[in-house]
Amino acid sequence: MAESKAPPPAAFSAEDLARRRRRSVALGLLLTGLVVFFYVITIFKTGPAILSRPL
Amino acid sequence: MSAAFDHLKSETPAPVLSTGEAGDFFTLLKPRVMFLVVITAFVGALVAPGQAHPVLLAASILAVAVGAGASGCLNMWYDADIDAVMTRTAKRPIPAGRILPGEALAFGLALSVGSVLVLGLIANWQSAAFLAFTIFFYAVVYSMWLKRSTPQNIVIGGAAGAFPPMIGEMIVTGQFGMASFVLFAIIFLWTPPHFWALALVKSADYGRAGIPMMPNVAGPAATRRQIMAYTLVMAPVAVLPALMGFGGAIYGAVSVVTGLGMIVLSWRVLTITEGEPAVKASQALFGFSILYLFLLFIVLMAEHGLGLMVALPKVL
Repeated sequence: MAESKAPPPAAFSAEDLARRRRRSVALGLLLTGLVVFFYVITIFKTGPAILSRPL
Repeated sequence: MSAAFDHLKSETPAPVLSTGEAGDFFTLLKPRVMFLVVITAFVGALVAPGQAHPVLLAASILAVAVGAGASGCLNMWYDADIDAVMTRTAKRPIPAGRILPGEALAFGLALSVGSVLVLGLIANWQSAAFLAFTIFFYAVVYSMWLKRSTPQNIVIGGAAGAFPPMIGEMIVTGQFGMASFVLFAIIFLWTPPHFWALALVKSADYGRAGIPMMPNVAGPAATRRQIMAYTLVMAPVAVLPALMGFGGAIYGAVSVVTGLGMIVLSWRVLTITEGEPAVKASQALFGFSILYLFLLFIVLMAEHGLGLMVALPKVL
C-alpha cells in the first residue's frame, strides 16, 4: 500500500487546512449550542409536567 | 492503487476548495436584516392580545430570525451572478469566491426547513406556516421572479420584509389582527421610498446588472414622484398605532416628528434633482429612513416592554 504514503492533494495548503479546521470547530460549537437549546426549550415547553411521569 | 485511477493524477482539475469561514456563512444570513426582523417580530408579539412564556417567545423569535436569514442566504445564492457586477455586493462571500454556490444553497435550505420546524414545535404551526410562506415569498417570488422582471420588484417583494410583525402576533395568539396588520402596512409602505432612494444613487450599478429598478425603467423624475407619494401615505399610517391604542404618547410624538422628517427629506429628493446635492438628498433619505423605522419599532417595544405606555384617547 505504498500509495497511502502519498502527500495530500496540493490544493490543500496549510492555510486551507487551518481554515477548514476553524470552520469545523465553529460547526461543532453550533451543534453543541443546538443541543443545549433543544434541551432548555423542551423543559420550558413541557413545564412542571416534565416531573410527572409514571414510575 | 491500480492503473484504473491513473487518470485522476493529471487530467482531473484540482478540487475547488471553499475557503469560507463561520463569519462568511453568517454574512450570508444578512445580519442587519435579521436584526430588523427580530425587532419587528418581537413588537408584533408585544402588541398581540395575549402573552407568551418569555423564554419560548425568545426562542420563537430566534427561529423567525434564522428563517429570515435563510431566505437572505437563498437570495444571495440565486443573485450571485448579479452581485458580482455590482459594487455594493461584489464582496459578498459567493461572488468573492469564499463560499461555493452549492454550499450556500444547502445552508439556506437546511436553515429554512429547520427554522420552520423549530417554530412549529415551539410556538404553533400557523406561525410556522406563515414563516415558510415568507421564506418562499422572498426567495422565490421576489428573488427568482420579480427582481429581474419588473420595476415593482421591491414594492411587491417588500411584503416579505413586512410579514415579521404578523408572524410575531401569530406566535402569541395563533392568528393576526389589526395591530400587526398596521405594522405590516408601515413596513410595506416604507420599503419603496427606502430602496428607491438607494436606487437613485446606484442606478448605474443596477443598470449594469440588468435589474429593472424604478429609476432605470421609469426614470429618476418618476421615481422621485413615487417616493414622495409613498411617503405621504406612509407617514400618516405610521401614526395609526397611537390612534388605535397600541402606541402610546411617546410613540405618537415620535411617529409625527419623524414622519414629518421623512416628508421633508422626500420633498428634497423630489426638488433637488441635479449633481452632487441630488445624490446627497437621496443618501440623506436612505439613511434617515433606516433610523425612522428603527425608532418607530424601538419606541413601541419600550412602551410595551418597559411599561412606558402613556395611553392616548383611542380614536379608531
